[in-house]
Amino acid sequence: MIGISQDDDVATNAFVRQLATAFTVQRDPDFVLSRAFDVSFVPSLFLLGPDGRVLRSHFGFDKSVLNEMAGQLQCPPVAEEFDGVPHSKPGCMSRHLEPQVDGECAPAPVIGSARGVPASIMEIPDGEDPFEYCFRTFGDGLPVIPPTPTRIALMLNGAAGDRNNVIGRVPPCYGEATAEKIAANAVMAGCVPDMMRVLLPLVRAMCDERLNLHGVQATTHFAAPLVIINGPIRNELDFAYRQNIFSNVARANSTLGRALQLILLNIGGARPDGIDMSTLGNPGKFSYCIAEHEEANPWEPFHVERGFNYQQSALTLFAAEAPHGVSEHTARTPEQVLKSISYALATVWTYRLCLGSDALVVLSPEHAHTIHRAGWSKQQARDFLFEHTGVPLRAYEGAPDAEGSQMAAKYKEILIDGERCFQKFRSAESIRILVAGGTAGKFSAVIGSWVAGPRGSEMVTYPI
Amino acid sequence: MSVKLINPMNETPVRVSVPPARLRSLEGKTVGLLDISKTGGNLFLDRLEQLLREQFHVANVVRAMKPTFAKPVPQVIIEQLRGADAVVEALAD
Repeated sequence: MIGISQDDDVATNAFVRQLATAFTVQRDPDFVLSRAFDVSFVPSLFLLGPDGRVLRSHFGFDKSVLNEMAGQLQCPPVAEEFDGVPHSKPGCMSRHLEPQVDGECAPAPVIGSARGVPASIMEIPDGEDPFEYCFRTFGDGLPVIPPTPTRIALMLNGAAGDRNNVIGRVPPCYGEATAEKIAANAVMAGCVPDMMRVLLPLVRAMCDERLNLHGVQATTHFAAPLVIINGPIRNELDFAYRQNIFSNVARANSTLGRALQLILLNIGGARPDGIDMSTLGNPGKFSYCIAEHEEANPWEPFHVERGFNYQQSALTLFAAEAPHGVSEHTARTPEQVLKSISYALATVWTYRLCLGSDALVVLSPEHAHTIHRAGWSKQQARDFLFEHTGVPLRAYEGAPDAEGSQMAAKYKEILIDGERCFQKFRSAESIRILVAGGTAGKFSAVIGSWVAGPRGSEMVTYPI
Repeated sequence: MSVKLINPMNETPVRVSVPPARLRSLEGKTVGLLDISKTGGNLFLDRLEQLLREQFHVANVVRAMKPTFAKPVPQVIIEQLRGADAVVEALAD
């Protein structure tokens, strides 16, 4: 196996050193090879036969292709599915095709190594209260537990692998989140060591480009990453999924959500007095972690719908606004319950704006039961919400400059109960349904998203 | 005895960039205008381009646009602005 670099000596050597590549990397200084193989994009993969003939080629990055080629070479898969990077990317234009300006090339992208630098040791001056010092220096406005070496050693007992392994680079400042740094923030948040089982995949998922944490952390919008926990880990680590799931109900929910937020602050650098310039913020930036009440969910659990098996624990991240409550205690049919929810759905982002955001519907067990006992599947409920959530055309009259009005030419007109409306969401898949909360009370919640889809933030689900 | 802590903050080394010298005049210069693709950005930049040409006598205006305001600017868009003496990045809502 041989790697070909289009960068200069300095950048190539630094890259090889950082990644500790197990194969030879050579330079292509005048792009002779790049031209000979007609490379359009980098990275590109070529599988050559013994006679030098190209047996297979692929432009861009694709985990499936990488693993298939590894298989052709009788090697085990090389690309992991849930390592924090997307499944595929188109790549960048090959340098020999780039327009050249004064013979310069664009600077090589900064790509760090898989091994980080050990954290430095801080010393609290004699006589200073360590709790006050940490509160002032690392806190989220609340006291934290001082991250002493002893506490971090205990926390790291809950994590496999070297403490200096880089788990992710956290936007927007792209700080290296080593296992050690993650453990330090977990200590401060009050996590138990076993929570590292969740925190490491959580940080990988958080750095998955599809979530676009860079935008989520730098926007003036309300968005904060909501963590949704599914599977056996809920009971193993005592996550709450019954009453008060959005509240201060359990150490697991509160401390996991808080550890994540401390990581985003202290490693990612999105401090609320600087880079994070959210106009109004979100109370979820203290902690925003819920679990599905799978036992009260009459349908398949959320993570099963997203491709995992029942016994696989999983976490999902969603760039979320705060929950908006929907009280519906008297409706007795699926249609009536869902119509009440659709009115709240129509208001996400802002009433007149359609097609811009997704939404999560957190159904209370009682509402889920009402819908299910009439024989409805989760997909039917979702389709109904999609078909019955819209904004009446009369809402746009006399408001040509209002947010949402300017894009109205792109909207799809539908009839809802005989009234001409613009359909609110792009597809039924824009509406996600989760069942959670206490078994008494007919209260559900609607949670709007930040800018949705590939141009904004996409929901990601990772195994634990 | 002092208490020791493991630093929980970001310690990743960063490359320090030095900003270029401030322009003394815009006359005869090339100015890049980057629209981040928010609604109304083009209105603002259209007016700015007019002012730059009429009042500040810039020689050339290069317009570029991010594919989405929600993500960092792609390298290929930055390349379009290479060579400009100054760049104005604008958002408008």
